[in-house]
Amino acid sequence: MSINVIETNGLGKRYGGTWALRECSLAIPAGHVAALVGPNGAGKTTLLNLAVGLASPSAGGVTVLGGRAPGSPAALDGIAFVAQDAPLYKNLSVADMIHLTRNLSRRFDQEYAETRLGELGIPLKRKSGRLSGGQQAQLALTLALARRPRLLMLDEPVAMLDPVARHDFMAIVLTAAVDDGVSVVLSSHVLTELERVADYLILLSRGRVQMAGEVDDLLASHRVLTGPALEADRYAERPVVHVRRAEAQAHLLVRATAADPVPPGFQAHPVGLEELALAYLREPGAAALPGPARGRHAEPSEVAK
Amino acid sequence: MTALTTPGRPEQDASPRPVPWRRMAWVTWRQHRFALGGVAALLGALAVWLWLIGLQAHHAYAAAADCHPASSSACGLLVGSFISHLSAAQNVAIVLQVVPALIGAFVGAPVLAREVETGTFRYAWTLGFGRWRWTLAKLVPLGVAVAAAAGLFSLLFSWYYQPFFVQTFSGNVQVPLYSTVFDLRGVAFAAWTLAAFAIGALVGMLIRRVVPALAATLVVYAGLAVAAGAYLREHYLTPLLVKNVNPPSSALIISQQWYAKGGQPASQAVLGQVLQQGAPQLGGGKGGIPQQDVTVNQWLIQHGYTLWTSYQPESRFWPFQWIEGGWLLALSVLLIAASAWLVSRRAA
Amino acid sequence: MVIDKGHGSAGGGAGASPVSGPRGPGAPIEFRLDAGSGVPTYLQLVHQVEHALRLGYLKPGDQLPKVRDVVASLAINPNTVLKAYRDLEMKGLAAGRPGQGTFVQATLSQVALPELTTLRRSLSGWLAAADQAGLDEDGMVALFTSALRDFYERRGGSRARGGAASGETEGIA
Repeated sequence: MSINVIETNGLGKRYGGTWALRECSLAIPAGHVAALVGPNGAGKTTLLNLAVGLASPSAGGVTVLGGRAPGSPAALDGIAFVAQDAPLYKNLSVADMIHLTRNLSRRFDQEYAETRLGELGIPLKRKSGRLSGGQQAQLALTLALARRPRLLMLDEPVAMLDPVARHDFMAIVLTAAVDDGVSVVLSSHVLTELERVADYLILLSRGRVQMAGEVDDLLASHRVLTGPALEADRYAERPVVHVRRAEAQAHLLVRATAADPVPPGFQAHPVGLEELALAYLREPGAAALPGPARGRHAEPSEVAK
Repeated sequence: MTALTTPGRPEQDASPRPVPWRRMAWVTWRQHRFALGGVAALLGALAVWLWLIGLQAHHAYAAAADCHPASSSACGLLVGSFISHLSAAQNVAIVLQVVPALIGAFVGAPVLAREVETGTFRYAWTLGFGRWRWTLAKLVPLGVAVAAAAGLFSLLFSWYYQPFFVQTFSGNVQVPLYSTVFDLRGVAFAAWTLAAFAIGALVGMLIRRVVPALAATLVVYAGLAVAAGAYLREHYLTPLLVKNVNPPSSALIISQQWYAKGGQPASQAVLGQVLQQGAPQLGGGKGGIPQQDVTVNQWLIQHGYTLWTSYQPESRFWPFQWIEGGWLLALSVLLIAASAWLVSRRAA
Repeated sequence: MVIDKGHGSAGGGAGASPVSGPRGPGAPIEFRLDAGSGVPTYLQLVHQVEHALRLGYLKPGDQLPKVRDVVASLAINPNTVLKAYRDLEMKGLAAGRPGQGTFVQATLSQVALPELTTLRRSLSGWLAAADQAGLDEDGMVALFTSALRDFYERRGGSRARGGAASGETEGIA
């Protein structure tokens, strides 16, 4: 029953001479809140656009919702996409936006939309361009969820929102995940709050996937070893992702689990998601991709030091 | 993690039936009602104006025509008044030339350009309605609407101009096939409006920003209209030729050329010289040949010169209207289809 | 720096949501989240349940907050809540009833107040001796932690007991 909400195979997209996305192979399973993370320009929006049919691949392929072609009515029927800055027709009132969305969608839960907007205190008569940023984001989200999608895709949904608005927004997204089994893929360049929101992570950097997998698995498969700098230089038992080194002491971020032995003289610590992501982002050559789920083991590349 | 996924909703049909076309009717109306209202206001205001000056022109014509005796000074005043309406009418026709361009630019260009410029296409084109269907559901009704409004307006213009076609007071004969009145009557006005709209839509999709698209639409339309009026229209059907006599005054003269005895064309300079030498009393051909003065023409003809005139007779007014309407319609269909194709293909 | 670390996260403030949100009937406690503490979220929830049990806010038979309510008020991933509740189930502290929710099943052994006082007094004595010997605070903590671990390992107790053990540093102190 578990399908892949987004599956890509060597996906690439080129704009002019630049590859915005390259060799992207992912299989994001359903039933997760997946975070697509990376610095600006990493290719997050490109990937989302490809998945929703707003762009077509220059290389490779992508399917959504278990094999449907992106942009096809069958795919878009089950996907709700909230693009960056929550695009709405600014001159249309909230009620008109509801009407428009209802007309153009196969499924629409009018009652849900009106109830939710009432709870949020968003007046139906006001032009959507006159709502605050947080309200516009909430309106876009309400319209998206009222279409009863199987997959909700959000492009930097909270970048422009203040902390309270961010919290309220994400609370609704996550409640939808619980209540209706909606899978979520959201992109962000902010790491800190994703840790408690996402259970699947895709790390993109310079158009390539550096990390992809369940957050628990990713965290469980990395440790930080702290030890003497000289010994750290000679360490080779497990693949090293990133080194932070001082005169006497060094920290090695390695691909190891709690079961792997700790070399003498070293202390092992678990890693947090932010530290892990930052380490990978600082090492463009490193990659940690999920193995068994895709039928192959992907060993990360060693870091040349 | 399966613990999270509540089975939610049943598997969707893999190829669902498309959302019906009529759902877009409200969307198109709601999004473009101001543009349509603007067209209604513009044409409405122009119609009121045309109605008023048209009434005056009809009265003036009737008064001048009924006036007896025709040579009296009182009647002369009425005729003069009518002729001033005639001059004004020619200017009215020139002013109205811009109407299709304005409609096309201000209604057609923003349809797609604004969607892309403001980013709302990321919303509209991901709802699952289908991009080319969405485009057609907008462009076709809007195009039909503006064309219909323009068509009604052109009926009013034909009524307005009617006395000027039949009048005999002034030598300033109004030729129905003449550019500035031809494209305001019959089916041409509606067709030009539709074409302008279609040009606007496609230009809007190519340029993707509203204001530049507006400007570009006006430019493209102007180019097309000038080309059609100056070159194309004259040749829809092979022109008729007549020798040594002038065609009827209501015909559209395309070209006239004097030929010497041997069959080669005679230039104005040559003809002028010939007249100077042979018949200086006739005024020497100043001001170009042929002239209104038939004696000049007759002298030349007697001396072996031949005048060939190519023209289009008035009777070809409706055939030309259908031809022009036809290719403009075909062009509009093509441009709208191209717009829909671009929308369905275009990456964001 | 290529990644924007976000505005509101300094000091663990902005992301944290103090006690708030809907209180369903039959959920005596509310969870809170300390986003900057570095402790994994699910562990924070587990600790809060254990803490509530110790202090008597929760008694056997009480219902733990519904997953949906926790998600709605804290804006955290539902799997995190499920993980915390599974953890508590494994420890025997809670049990899920299908279609109804998760309910408290057992209680943490509560030590009587006089015993607690005695233990505290002897602990203060140990601390004074350690201070005399020259151990600083972190040294005391490391020594105590090490001894604690050894105690439980010898006992064969699961490392899951006393939840603070997981996520700790390992290796030689």
